[in-house]
Amino acid sequence: MMQIRLAGIGGQGVILAGVILGEAAAIEGLNVLQTQDYGSASRGGHSIADVIISKEPIYELMVTKADVLVALAQLGYDSTKEELKRDGILIVDTDLVKPDRDYIGAPFTHLAEENTGLALTVNMVALGYLVAKTGIVKKESVEEAIKRRVPKGTEDINVKAFRVGYEEGLK
Amino acid sequence: MKYPFPVGRSDFIQGDEAIARAAILAGCRFYAGYPITPASEIFEAMALYMPLVDGVSIQMEDELASMAAIIGASWAGAKAMTATSGPGFSLMQENLGYAIMTETPVVVVDVQRGGPSTGQPTLGAQGDVMQSIWGTHGDHSLIVLTPATVQEAFDMTIRAFNLAEKYRTPVALLTDAEIAHMRERVYTPNPEDIELVYRKLPANKEEAQYPFGDIHGDMIPPMPIFGKGYRTYVTGLTHDEKGRPKTVDAEVHERLIRRIINKLEKNKEDIIAYETFDLDDAEIAIISYGTVARSAIRAVKLLREEGIKAGLLKLNTIWPFDFEMIEGIAEHVSKIYVPEMNLGQVYHLVKEGANGKAEVELIPKIGGEIHTPTDIIERVKRGV
Repeated sequence: MMQIRLAGIGGQGVILAGVILGEAAAIEGLNVLQTQDYGSASRGGHSIADVIISKEPIYELMVTKADVLVALAQLGYDSTKEELKRDGILIVDTDLVKPDRDYIGAPFTHLAEENTGLALTVNMVALGYLVAKTGIVKKESVEEAIKRRVPKGTEDINVKAFRVGYEEGLK
Repeated sequence: MKYPFPVGRSDFIQGDEAIARAAILAGCRFYAGYPITPASEIFEAMALYMPLVDGVSIQMEDELASMAAIIGASWAGAKAMTATSGPGFSLMQENLGYAIMTETPVVVVDVQRGGPSTGQPTLGAQGDVMQSIWGTHGDHSLIVLTPATVQEAFDMTIRAFNLAEKYRTPVALLTDAEIAHMRERVYTPNPEDIELVYRKLPANKEEAQYPFGDIHGDMIPPMPIFGKGYRTYVTGLTHDEKGRPKTVDAEVHERLIRRIINKLEKNKEDIIAYETFDLDDAEIAIISYGTVARSAIRAVKLLREEGIKAGLLKLNTIWPFDFEMIEGIAEHVSKIYVPEMNLGQVYHLVKEGANGKAEVELIPKIGGEIHTPTDIIERVKRGV
């Protein structure tokens, strides 16, 4: 079982990233659960997506001890860093989050803007990085999930952002 | 027929969405509702899907009218559903009683949230158990189902329609904010692989004269459909086999009410559904349902790893209730724990069932958080 928590602020698309990761796992026939927690503001409040992926049945309802924490904003990191296992993987946007422990990551928002012209594809860049680093699902499954889940007409730009993050994660 | 969502494959969807899709596949073609968190997504999906399957989805002025509308639709021959949360479920109680009294097959989904009153709109709870069973006045019975996963929400929605049609009764599907909004992998079968039940219709004019009569000896009268050529009188007043009001005749009242209750009680074996985990040799039993059953399954597994012989009874229906089965379990265990997201509701049913044969202890939790497996394990260990 792998417990993954994505944390950021409203508007960064962390919940959509969680849904797409979950959909990719479902496409592969894995058991998967996704729940979310967010403030009532549509932008600026904390936003958390939990994804649990397992070959066994999942009885948990949320991440209890995260194997992976992806933090796209300092507020997201601060609000949930205690939930990351001591030997868990911390992935951050290195421009926006200053962690107080070991981490990996890249300037995801910057990469998004640079490669797609849209900062709001940061969620797909971070997802690509996460998938490359953990191998929890296949790249192809995520790309299929992106096509199912993003608004029509935005599939290409989202897949592109995902691939940017994926390549970054392979470095 | 083409469905407005994928069939014959697994999808990653929320509990509310799963209920809407399952209802469509079960043959539901009339939905009436009023938006309310955390049930609104069921309505949203129905508004999207119904026009695409030649069905109707209508927003009524409130929950009283929503319930009235689905009762009317059912008598017009449609499989019909509404969905709401606690505050709306309270408003539906009067007409839910009317549906019971008129033996109208309908499905009512209550996505539970913290209450009473408007309470905690976004947080899960199990506070509507007693309301779902006894919320309407008078002696009565109905069927209440309790899913614990998104797949179960899907499967039990289809089952709810089948039971409603088979027994000519309202069926309540009790979920909560957690199941409503979590996404899980759900397998949607091909429609031809789904077994569907349709209500018994009068075979001829003679049968149609007794829309409330036990003319087949199975306590389930055939249901005439408006517009199909029969004259039928439908009333919430106590009525005789022909549907005529008989409000002061004790015998008629007793015959009607006992039949409405017995058609479910005498078919308990068909209606009641449950699962057991490690219960056969258990010394300690946990009895759970809905969302909390997930934590209870994990708790049982962890307790077993520590050498404590715990087992679980997971209730998939909470009404009708199998009191005898609980007594049977109580005879073989030293203690029964009932974790619930309320201050004790199914606990009282279990205690009545246990009949003093085993101690029954409630593990309550309110406020919107779900029991963790640890919450349950610690309480069990304290008693060992």
